[in-house]
Amino acid sequence: MNNVTITVNAQTLSAPEGSILLQVLLDNGVSVPHFCYHEALGVDGNCRMCMVEIEGQKRPQIACNTRVKEGMSIRTLSDSIMAVKRSILELELINHPVDCPICDQAGECSLQNYYMEVGLYESRIDRADKVRKAKKVDLGSHVILDQERCVLCARCTRFTENIIGTGDLVIANRGNHACVTTFEPQGLKADGYAMNVVDLCPVGALTSGDFRFHQRVWFLKSDPSLCHGCARGCSIFIDHYPQKYGDDLIYRYRPRVEREVNGFFICDEGRLSYKNHTGDATLTTPRYSGTAITLSEALELYHQKLAASGSGVVALASPSLSCENLTALRDYCLQYAIPLFGVERGSFDETFGDDFLRLNDRAANRSALPLLGISEDESEMNAALCAASLVLNFDNQTPVSVDQIHFCVHPIDTRELQIPIAPYTEQSGSIINAFGKVQKFASTIRRRHPVPPLHELLSTIKGLA
Amino acid sequence: MIQRIVSRKFDIPDAHRIDVALLHGGYATLSKAFAMEPDAITTEIERSGLRGKGGGGAPTGKKWRLMPKTISPSYLVVNADESEPGTFKDRQILQYDPHLLIEGIIVSAYAMGADHAYVYIRGEYKAFHDRLVEAVEEAYERGYLGENIRNSGFNLSLSVHRGAGAYICGEKSALLESLEGKRGHPRLKPAKPECEWYFGHPATVNNVETIATVPFIVQEGFEAYRAYGTDQSPGTMLFAMSGHISRPGVYELPFGLRMMEVIDELGGGVKNGKKLKAVIPGGASTPVLTAEEAEKATLDYETLSAMGSGLGTGGMIIMDEESCMVKALHNLLSFYRHESCGQCTPCREGTGWVDTLIRHILAGRGDETHIQTLLDVSKTMNGQTICVFAPAVSGVINAFVKKFRPEFEHYFQRSEG
Ligand SMILES: Cc1cc2nc3c(=O)[nH]c(=O)nc-3n(C[C@H](O)[C@H](O)[C@H](O)COP(=O)(O)O)c2cc1C
Ligand code: SF4
Ligand code: SF4
Ligand code: SF4
Ligand code: FES
Repeated sequence: MNNVTITVNAQTLSAPEGSILLQVLLDNGVSVPHFCYHEALGVDGNCRMCMVEIEGQKRPQIACNTRVKEGMSIRTLSDSIMAVKRSILELELINHPVDCPICDQAGECSLQNYYMEVGLYESRIDRADKVRKAKKVDLGSHVILDQERCVLCARCTRFTENIIGTGDLVIANRGNHACVTTFEPQGLKADGYAMNVVDLCPVGALTSGDFRFHQRVWFLKSDPSLCHGCARGCSIFIDHYPQKYGDDLIYRYRPRVEREVNGFFICDEGRLSYKNHTGDATLTTPRYSGTAITLSEALELYHQKLAASGSGVVALASPSLSCENLTALRDYCLQYAIPLFGVERGSFDETFGDDFLRLNDRAANRSALPLLGISEDESEMNAALCAASLVLNFDNQTPVSVDQIHFCVHPIDTRELQIPIAPYTEQSGSIINAFGKVQKFASTIRRRHPVPPLHELLSTIKGLA
Repeated sequence: MIQRIVSRKFDIPDAHRIDVALLHGGYATLSKAFAMEPDAITTEIERSGLRGKGGGGAPTGKKWRLMPKTISPSYLVVNADESEPGTFKDRQILQYDPHLLIEGIIVSAYAMGADHAYVYIRGEYKAFHDRLVEAVEEAYERGYLGENIRNSGFNLSLSVHRGAGAYICGEKSALLESLEGKRGHPRLKPAKPECEWYFGHPATVNNVETIATVPFIVQEGFEAYRAYGTDQSPGTMLFAMSGHISRPGVYELPFGLRMMEVIDELGGGVKNGKKLKAVIPGGASTPVLTAEEAEKATLDYETLSAMGSGLGTGGMIIMDEESCMVKALHNLLSFYRHESCGQCTPCREGTGWVDTLIRHILAGRGDETHIQTLLDVSKTMNGQTICVFAPAVSGVINAFVKKFRPEFEHYFQRSEG
């Protein structure tokens, strides 16, 4: 597409000819209130909020349904356009409950923001005249609907209809009795992607049953990261609360736009996987024979066991460990002549993959193994395990019948020695997804008593073996 | 005054049966039409100046030309949704001469190259639906529909589809959505004029009466049609009269007659000898006229739109001196509140709010601010929506409030007194 020049509020912009005006404005940081348009869902034109003034046009036009043309001159702030926006916002609000103080969306709500930006008038409708609808409908898949707060932008219905293709959500009834609903009670499934509608909903109509009322969003800090739930490695935001006198807790994952990997969405299972990495879900102190021990006690035991096993030691690496951890582990094993395998039984789940985002390969970094020269030969591994007297298990879920020492993220129900290593949320690193894309992630969560990442731990125990 | 083009067979007993229809010239146009080039038919329609009779008055021939000939199959969709208060003309055709409609459909589909035709009929019109279906079955049996119609080599199938009771499904793009099995939501209008689309295929939507007029024009030539009416409103239309009128009914008249002449002479004047207060000229969605305006009005597109109203569907609602205009507006607004499809914010919320405001005024709780709010909301509803439903409501409100404001104010005084 050719680039053309347009003028916006006396500022000159260059944009591809024929592109969606609203998108161009948003990409250039021009604030234009809008509800129904979403880059992933396209134009619907129902909310009428994105009005702009276009020179040469008698009436204000919706920017989402306007294509960019050479020489277009647009105003978004003139008195007349502000008056139009205010009048439409007024209509948007007449039947809205405006119960922001008890609304989970408060602080990240488009309606609330626009109201602060262009509204701020006395309501002209009697509260008794507002249309009442259901305040709490469990749509299924952890999604809760407040029909009164819904602005009927149809983002959620368009998501299930056009993106997922299940059409679980529909709008029923007409006029101001229209409401979002499902065909059957709790009928929202959306093939395991349902919770994306919570992010898409511009207001507090759809909230996450998993997140709502747990934390006010203005206390949360959002940091970019990568889901490790499968070999796609979707981009996410980790929303967490760095408490002053306690651990930094994760409250939710949200999708982060990464066009080449996950687009705008993530799967529900990945979204809820934060639970495995927060609070006391992870192992924080070494354990032996069912009791907690100190790290130096643990390393002492480690060396004793290692010495006792002589040459019968085999190491197993989880194919979800970062490149940095795998490299350190490979070097460690090379140095001490310990055979290392990256095979993990059970890490392929034939029931998980689909034709959207989810992949059967549940390991986050399997693509790194051949690049690092870590063996993926299962029969060799089996042979080595048969001959082994001790297995050093680096977070690998393969069932093993030999005596093991576990370097693990999660507590394991065993009396064997377990030494904690940091989850990916607590360290930086990189992973290579199933399509060969190298992706970096930063450390987001700080514990008061940090658990070392594997590569750090290995550097401290290196010379002692 | 009365002319008989589409109503020609209305008074013939059993003209809805194919044998009777055939005896009276039914399907006679087909042999002439099939002998013509399809394009020549469209040209004939263009020259006749035929305007769509579903309310918009768009030139029919021009609309047919928007059908791309390169994509097949393509569709002719006949709009028999007729749900607007005050409009009840298409049902006459369905009831008394369904074969004229089928004949029109065959000729029109042949002209635009449509492979399949649909009639989308208002759900509540069950009896007319059944009658049309019977006629369609007869037409299939006699070879007027189906493969190789009357040895012309032209194929056309015709299906009749019942709506589910939504006024908005009369709007052409909502109708097509509904026909596709979706919610009847009007579609965003394209930037440049183009045909409609049915499952991604070209489609033309025309009103029942529009299509029923086609056989006459093809048979008699465009000049015969232009012999009636005015330059900008050629031909005839089925005008309906309801409300406070002595002889309510549907009359086929040439365009351009004086409104009062029609009301007084054909309609027998205002019922019970009362005085006229107001006329809604062309179905509920056209702005109301005062009695003085009605005196000046003629029944054509140009005059009524110059008066700030419209010819619409030609369905006149006559209101006598005792009519309460606030109650009349309330009646209309409760209809619109119920029928807004609910997509666009200004319409969904606006139709509800204006109805609420009127209810307050009627209950004696109103004051000047209610009228101001009514006009403000009406302004927001105008020109900012996907379809013309909301702008039409806005026009209705403005006309009632501006022309009959003292009646609204009268209700405030009541509460004070
Ligand atoms: C709210 C609304 C309701 C309508 N209802 C009808 C209807 O019941 N019948 C009809 O023929 N046209 C109706 N129309 C007009 C149609 O959109 C369309 O213009 C018409 O069917 C085209 O046919 P014509 O060109 O032959 O008039 C309606 C339009 C709107 C906006
Ligand atoms: S629930 Fe949210 S996303 Fe869905 S229509 Fe309502 S406001 Fe839009
Ligand atoms: S598709 Fe895979 S990487 Fe993406 S969110 Fe789901 S589990 Fe995580
Ligand atoms: S104007 Fe009203 S009826 Fe038309 S699309 Fe919008 S909400 Fe629906
Ligand atoms: S964003 Fe343009 S109309 Fe909703």
